[in-house]
Amino acid sequence: MRKRGSATPSATTTVVIAAVLGMPAPTLGQGQAPPSALVNPGAEEAVQAARAASLRTSEETFAYFEKDVDAALARAIEGVWDPERPREPSPRTPWGHPDLQGYWISATYTPLERPAELAGKPLYTIPEAIEAFQKAGLVDASVDPATVHYDWTEFGMDNWQSPMWPNRRTALIVDPPDGRIPALTPEGRERWEAQARRDTLQSRHPTERCIVGSEGPPRVPFEQQIGESRIVQTPNYVILITQSNSDVRIIPLDGRPKLPDDIRAWLGVSRGHWEGDTLVIETTNFHEDRTWVRPRGLGGNLRLVERLTRVAEDTLLYEATLTDPTTWEAPWTLEIPWPKMNPPGLFEWACHEHNYGIINVVRGAQIRAEEYEAQSGD
Amino acid sequence: MAAAAVLGLVAMELAAAQTPADESRASLPRTADGRPDLSGIWQSFTTANWDILAHSAQAGPHPELLGAWGAGRAAQSIVHGNELPYQPWATAKQKENFANRTLVNVTNDPSRFDTGDRELQCFRAGIPRANYMPYPFQIFQTPDEIIIVYEYKGTYRTIHMDFDSSPPSDTWMGWSNGHWDGDTLVVDVTGFNGYTWFDRAGNFHSDALHVVERWTPLSPYHIRYEATIEDPKVFTRPWTMSFTLYKHIEPEAQLIEFNCVPFVEELMYEPLGLMGK
Repeated sequence: MRKRGSATPSATTTVVIAAVLGMPAPTLGQGQAPPSALVNPGAEEAVQAARAASLRTSEETFAYFEKDVDAALARAIEGVWDPERPREPSPRTPWGHPDLQGYWISATYTPLERPAELAGKPLYTIPEAIEAFQKAGLVDASVDPATVHYDWTEFGMDNWQSPMWPNRRTALIVDPPDGRIPALTPEGRERWEAQARRDTLQSRHPTERCIVGSEGPPRVPFEQQIGESRIVQTPNYVILITQSNSDVRIIPLDGRPKLPDDIRAWLGVSRGHWEGDTLVIETTNFHEDRTWVRPRGLGGNLRLVERLTRVAEDTLLYEATLTDPTTWEAPWTLEIPWPKMNPPGLFEWACHEHNYGIINVVRGAQIRAEEYEAQSGD
Repeated sequence: MAAAAVLGLVAMELAAAQTPADESRASLPRTADGRPDLSGIWQSFTTANWDILAHSAQAGPHPELLGAWGAGRAAQSIVHGNELPYQPWATAKQKENFANRTLVNVTNDPSRFDTGDRELQCFRAGIPRANYMPYPFQIFQTPDEIIIVYEYKGTYRTIHMDFDSSPPSDTWMGWSNGHWDGDTLVVDVTGFNGYTWFDRAGNFHSDALHVVERWTPLSPYHIRYEATIEDPKVFTRPWTMSFTLYKHIEPEAQLIEFNCVPFVEELMYEPLGLMGK
């Protein structure tokens, strides 16, 4: 562990930062883009030029925030998520339901799928979990000026600046036991390969187009995502509101039947009931065009079962089982703790109204496609 | 015998003193803290979304394509006095808005809001318009907050009860602070970004808009909605609108997602050459 206040990063930090600068963009095990994707012939030059032009090196940025990172990491160590720890009974609403209400975050450094080097190791010890978390936090807090559009630490948007727990689990996927998404079916593989961001608006991600936000359902975290949401309860309903795109899910608890298959929704249609301290949400009727929503390959046939349990005063446990025999050979389940965050909470996210960025995103892709055509035409 | 007759007469007199309105209010569902419970799915039946002032039945845009589908019903004004007290420049601006109400000019900055009705492009409706769109909305009532979710776009607003908070930033749906005045929910809404219109006819306001809503239940199934509008940048004085909200009583009633963003992509982005074949 580095000395507090030192201007020169320690050997460990230097190794970590070097790894950051050298390493490829992290993935969540979704594989590489298909070969027809766009190329940027000047990429390496552009990266070097950005680094040379930056007012601050990665090391300098990290040293600037060193004290904040240490404090944040020390706080996080107190809240290691240990699935083997006994759970506290849930507080109750005035009408006797488990109380899940509040503002919650689903940020995590734990990867969705278990990395190959951790095969056969579903759980860290607590000291190992803390060390993995610290390493990830140091990487997160190091800013490579060539790979970021702007410095997220300045905006309080790095994960380590939010409540977030180290996790004894080595992957979010708890079933199948190998911690990997099951194999795609041929239909699923076809859908997955068709989903590449190209030079048309229709090929872009529904989140880029502001159709849905990035917080599901299901809630599958990704790098740099701080998934803030809010839960409000009444005797007959649970409402789940996400910060991303200000998406709202209304979950009736009165046992009403599902809607017929003719009715589809981008956020699906949900029905909820209590099982002990756990809210069980069954969601179906997903829109047929709801491809791309994490993870890739998904179609409109998903049957989703989510569970929310207040396992501690400051922690909600989220579990999601995804079943779609047209996409994966088997169902799979992920688990992620949601630490509590304090109000003021959520703000209006008028994504589509102010989607200025999509214009140049698509225009940029069109230019790259033209360059690719010109290059391969030679 | 005589005493019983007298008591009977007195009972009849007491019954006569109760009006139908009193009986309706006495039968209102109430929350644990004694307030009317406004929870449920509600909808207005005016065509104020087309034009908040009195208007005839009329063909809509592109009648050569849409015929009767695109036409609009007549309606009486929801604005008291059927007149909007525009400042002289604003009268001209509203006429310009009306002429350009189907104009779509998608830029990558706020100049995109200079023209064209917002609903056409699936933008948020703002307050009070969200309450008289032709879609239902659902009220969720807790003691500290009342949350309203509108089927149109799945937009929501939070009414902070008995908490004098100020808007942290300007938004489409504004910032709502509420309190009870007897059985009337009074909501003070500020913090608007000024981009919304009151209707498809181009009636508009600025970011100085201040709305005071009064939601008064008339029975378990009816709410009288009244809103007083103040905007010193646009109007010469405050003005008031009102209409009735009706409750959806079928047990299976629910909001069903109306996500119009996919429906407007061709309209908005084809002119910029962003759509594939």
